[in-house]
Amino acid sequence: MVTFIIRRLVGTIFLLIVVSMITFAIFFLIPRLAGQNTYQLAAQYVGRNPTRPAVLAVERQLGLADPLYLQYGRFLRGILFGAHYRSGPDVTYCPPPCFGYSFRSQLPVWPQMISDVPVTLSLAIGASILWLIGGVSIGVLSALRKGTLFDRFSMGIALAGVSLPVFFTGLISLELFSYKWPLFPNVQYVPITSNPVEWARNLVLPWIVLAFLYAALYARLTRAGMLETMSEDYIRTARAKGLPERKVIVKHGLRAALTPIVTIFGMDLGLLLGGAIITEVTFSLHGLGLFTVQAVNNQDLPEILGVTMLAAFFIVIANLVVDIFYAVVDPRVRF
Amino acid sequence: MPDALLEVEDLRIHFPTQDGLVKSVDGVSFRLERGRTLGIVGESGSGKSVTSLGIMGLHHGSRAEITGHIRLDGEDLVAASPARVRELRGSKMAMIFQDPLSSLHPYYTIGNQIIEAYRVHHPDATKRQARQRAVEMLDRVGIPQPSARVDDYPHQFSGGMRQRVMIAMALCNDPGLLIADEPTTALDVTVQAQILDLIHDLQSEFGSAVIMITHDLGVVAELSDDILVMYAGRAAEYGSAADIFASPGHPYTWGLLASMPRMDRERLTRLVPIPGTPPSLIRVPPGCPFHPRCRYGHLNGGRSETEVPELRDTEHTGHLVACHLTAAERAKQWALLAAGKVPEDARTGAGAHAGDTA
Amino acid sequence: MRRRRTFGLAAAGAAAALMLAACSSGGSSSSGGNGSGSGSGSSAAYNAGVTSVVNPSTHKGGTLTFDWRAAPDSFDPGNTYYAADWDFARFYSTALMTFKNCPGTCGKTLVPALATAPGVASNNGLTWTYHIKSGVKYEDGSTVTSKDVKYAVERTFDRGVLPNGPNYFANLLGGNAAKYPGPYKDKAKDKMGLTAIDTPDATTVVFHLKAPFSDMDYLLTIPQSAPVPPAKDTGASYQTHIVSTGPYKFQSYQLNKTAVLVPNPQWNASMFPTVSQLPSKIVVNLNMNPNDVDNRLLAGDAQVDFAGTGVQAAARAKILANPNLKSHADDPVTGFGWFFYIDSQVAPFTNLACRQAVEYAANHLTLQNAYGGPVAGGDIGSTVMPPTVAGYQKFDLYEATTKTQGDPAKAKQMLQACGKPNGFSTGLAYRSDRPTETQGAQALQQSLSAVGIKLTLHGYPSSTYFSNFAGVPKYMSSHGIGLAMGGWGADWPDGYGFLSQLVSGPSIVPAGNTNIGMLNDPVVNNLFTKAAGITDEAQRNAIWGQIDHQVMKDAVIVPIVYAKALIYRPPTLSNVYFNQAYQLNNYAVEGVTG
Repeated sequence: MVTFIIRRLVGTIFLLIVVSMITFAIFFLIPRLAGQNTYQLAAQYVGRNPTRPAVLAVERQLGLADPLYLQYGRFLRGILFGAHYRSGPDVTYCPPPCFGYSFRSQLPVWPQMISDVPVTLSLAIGASILWLIGGVSIGVLSALRKGTLFDRFSMGIALAGVSLPVFFTGLISLELFSYKWPLFPNVQYVPITSNPVEWARNLVLPWIVLAFLYAALYARLTRAGMLETMSEDYIRTARAKGLPERKVIVKHGLRAALTPIVTIFGMDLGLLLGGAIITEVTFSLHGLGLFTVQAVNNQDLPEILGVTMLAAFFIVIANLVVDIFYAVVDPRVRF
Repeated sequence: MPDALLEVEDLRIHFPTQDGLVKSVDGVSFRLERGRTLGIVGESGSGKSVTSLGIMGLHHGSRAEITGHIRLDGEDLVAASPARVRELRGSKMAMIFQDPLSSLHPYYTIGNQIIEAYRVHHPDATKRQARQRAVEMLDRVGIPQPSARVDDYPHQFSGGMRQRVMIAMALCNDPGLLIADEPTTALDVTVQAQILDLIHDLQSEFGSAVIMITHDLGVVAELSDDILVMYAGRAAEYGSAADIFASPGHPYTWGLLASMPRMDRERLTRLVPIPGTPPSLIRVPPGCPFHPRCRYGHLNGGRSETEVPELRDTEHTGHLVACHLTAAERAKQWALLAAGKVPEDARTGAGAHAGDTA
Repeated sequence: MRRRRTFGLAAAGAAAALMLAACSSGGSSSSGGNGSGSGSGSSAAYNAGVTSVVNPSTHKGGTLTFDWRAAPDSFDPGNTYYAADWDFARFYSTALMTFKNCPGTCGKTLVPALATAPGVASNNGLTWTYHIKSGVKYEDGSTVTSKDVKYAVERTFDRGVLPNGPNYFANLLGGNAAKYPGPYKDKAKDKMGLTAIDTPDATTVVFHLKAPFSDMDYLLTIPQSAPVPPAKDTGASYQTHIVSTGPYKFQSYQLNKTAVLVPNPQWNASMFPTVSQLPSKIVVNLNMNPNDVDNRLLAGDAQVDFAGTGVQAAARAKILANPNLKSHADDPVTGFGWFFYIDSQVAPFTNLACRQAVEYAANHLTLQNAYGGPVAGGDIGSTVMPPTVAGYQKFDLYEATTKTQGDPAKAKQMLQACGKPNGFSTGLAYRSDRPTETQGAQALQQSLSAVGIKLTLHGYPSSTYFSNFAGVPKYMSSHGIGLAMGGWGADWPDGYGFLSQLVSGPSIVPAGNTNIGMLNDPVVNNLFTKAAGITDEAQRNAIWGQIDHQVMKDAVIVPIVYAKALIYRPPTLSNVYFNQAYQLNNYAVEGVTG
């Protein structure tokens, strides 16, 4: 197990390097294939009327004219050892992990990005708890009452939840519960450290909206999983032993049905930690998702690289946790 | 007549479906005394498994409509509350199944699963006591090093060992009735005999009654005291094993016997399959349900197509057969068959459409 | 030109938002606030803010909340090129000059801010002298000197560190301005190596130009001339530690998220009548969802849409349908123009008649509708300069306002004249992530096909539109793209501010070009030079009109609309009016009542 984890972590580092190389290549090579030169690239980062001296100065400042391997090497070195940067009157040092300086704000990317993590973390974890509890319990109830009105109703809602995009449900929920009946007026992120109650109040709508999307999915998955599991032979055995039905469902049925769901949950959570883009944009939450949107809109390579690698990191770690989890719950899995 | 441990009387188990009412069990009666073994024999779909699950009360929650009586130690399980039946399940009656791998939960150790079975009926037992019981039971069913293997998971055992575990689990509460539903079907041939021997040994040791459900007359031949042959949810023939093997009364039983490879019956040199397939339980053929597949239907002047044969006594007490043929005719035909003479099929192609009644 | 930003994802929510508008327009009465506190000024009425101050009040206190769908290029006064930022920057920075605090055309009047009076030109217009008010203090209590003004201008020369602001100083100043690298690389001991600016004493700043430039006062309204204390300058990160000279100072600023400003106790109200210090706190929320910004304005959670470019479609429908909401809205001509360029270097547009054929053929009505119709889009244009720009003259060379659906007959004549009687094919560049431009491109394609001009549409992303495509003359010609959609707003509200980057020959650059028509007409270029030497404003304005005329004659720009914007002003917002100089409401005097 320990060697497995170590092996995976080493693999993670390689994967992150590959991800960064691909991002780097997409950013630099594809425009180049389309005939763009570094002068044009630099011109994006100068304000309006980019005179030649201004563009050349920016090109030099950002090092865009250097060969790609040099630029990439600088990027890697920054992460490992930090980087020095001419910020104007002084040369400032950006300690490792230094993901470089934003092409737009010319400020270090890492602190910007890290300051967005708590927002996304709050959103993702809150929502995931909601959808896990909501989705799984609805799914279980639906499976146990298959064909009843409850089952049909909740599965209908679930279908709606899966189909409705967040920017629709999000706007509707804001319109109804923030403006028409102001249960949650003036939604704005408040750090949990400064006021836990306000933190929760402001996140309730995003949580519900995001959870609705996933809960729907999880309800359907749970229902399908439970229906399958409850027809397993070992459920019959459990009943034949005379176990109370609740124990049959929870210990024998749910335990087995939940395993694949927890796997998906881990992946979903990992993906979300990289930024719940649409939810964050809809509710103007300044998390990694909004950060990503801005970085892409601004063609800000260091920010794009940083957030891509962070997101990849979350996904890989989630993957690893899921694999370890699998080994823990399913004795048939061994490394 | 001694008090029966289990008395089943006119049991009917019907399942309403969109296509119609499935009469899986349609008026079955039998009785079983302590220490004795009843073999229920039939093809798949004959209702033997549904009957056993009905006894265990495991149709609860499905849409089964159950009527008739199932008396366990005099207590009617059909009328009893589901909670009461649950109490009895695992304590007074236990069951083992065909596929021990899928019947054991893959995520829990076998110890955990046996302990759970024990403690649910012994709420006062400590974990330690329950574990001791589990080890003891594993030892009894012949698992080597039981105290170590109690913490192993089902996938770490071989097929035969898993079935032993199932038996240990079923018997840990010392139930009066053990139902074994095709306990050897999924196992290697070499292991089958060991498991049957084990069941037999434990039965004598615990003094429990056993219902052995199988499609294989060979399995019940040595173990059973009584045999119930089921066809299309009904009893075709019911009697002591000795009677049934000596003078089987129903053409279906003959079919089962004829299609069974046996060392001791050299006269039957060739295996004779029963033509056709079991009927749909939604549209059971009118008259004798077996008549589309029966080679002797022409001998009773068409009664078998209109009239449902009753289960009637034969010359031997307690040996019941549901057939329109006269006792003399049956004896004659069986004698011919036993001599290796397969009758000409009076009705050409009878088998061809027999299964198509639906 | 000052930038406008549209948010890419705005389109995504548009459908849902429209539906919301439809279902909530019935009973919405979220603007139930009790209106103006002191009734002396103009009462709330539709378009009242275009010509008068709405809800005038001297009430102090309250929190004034700005929501912005985007974020500034920088809050650093020396490193920003956003119109809204220049307007807002007056809360915390004081340029030498500014505009008068009054509605209507009066708002374009130049008045001194940090300076004591407008500049005095001498030496044939090559030297401009300003005196700064004495006793002006930074938020830390230290005194502003003329050297700080010089330093502020100097630092904008380091384009590597502060790339965003305009380039006027480097282009206009004399001495070593052409080669000066900025103070960070300045070899001089006091970092005051720019020879084009003298500071003979602590309150005098003298600018030496390489050629006469009569718009100097306008230029010095840009926050680039607001003083920066050299000791406190941290270059790129100065944006997060700005030292204020205005009525407010930064209490906190989380980049791209929120800025909180509080009153600056060192600020002296009597010295600066053009700005005020009413709210006890100013909050700027950045990168907000555009539809949510509108809802927050209507709900009273925010008072000002920072971008000032008008509400989204959903809120527009809601506001126009509800008389009460409508009375709290203005629909001014912003001073921004939407048009498409005809690249005179791409065949067959090298021929004037071919360009003029396009001028005649364009259907202005369908184009106006594509840009949102008369309320949200604007009035059909016939000149390059919109009516709010000083020097605007009304004329219509190509029947844009009389034959709004185009004049195919005239267009055919022109095609005949250019030797393409059956029409021709060319490309049209547009920003595909902007719904209005996409619809405009389609409308144009349709109207030109009626006379045989076949357009191939080329959609590009906004972020690289100028740097890689429409703003790269080589790209345009090598891909046979003769037309490009675009828009323009003035850096300051006169002809020079609007036209110089747009149509003067020297403004052509290889990438990021804004003279997309590639106009290098000696007549136009000479008129620019001539105007630069004329100090009389009326005479200068006459020349801007002549340039506009000539450009339209050259047919390198087809005006679509003089942009309008439906701006909502919540009832609690005081001292609201549309400022023609900034093409936005005058933020620096606003307050909150009730």
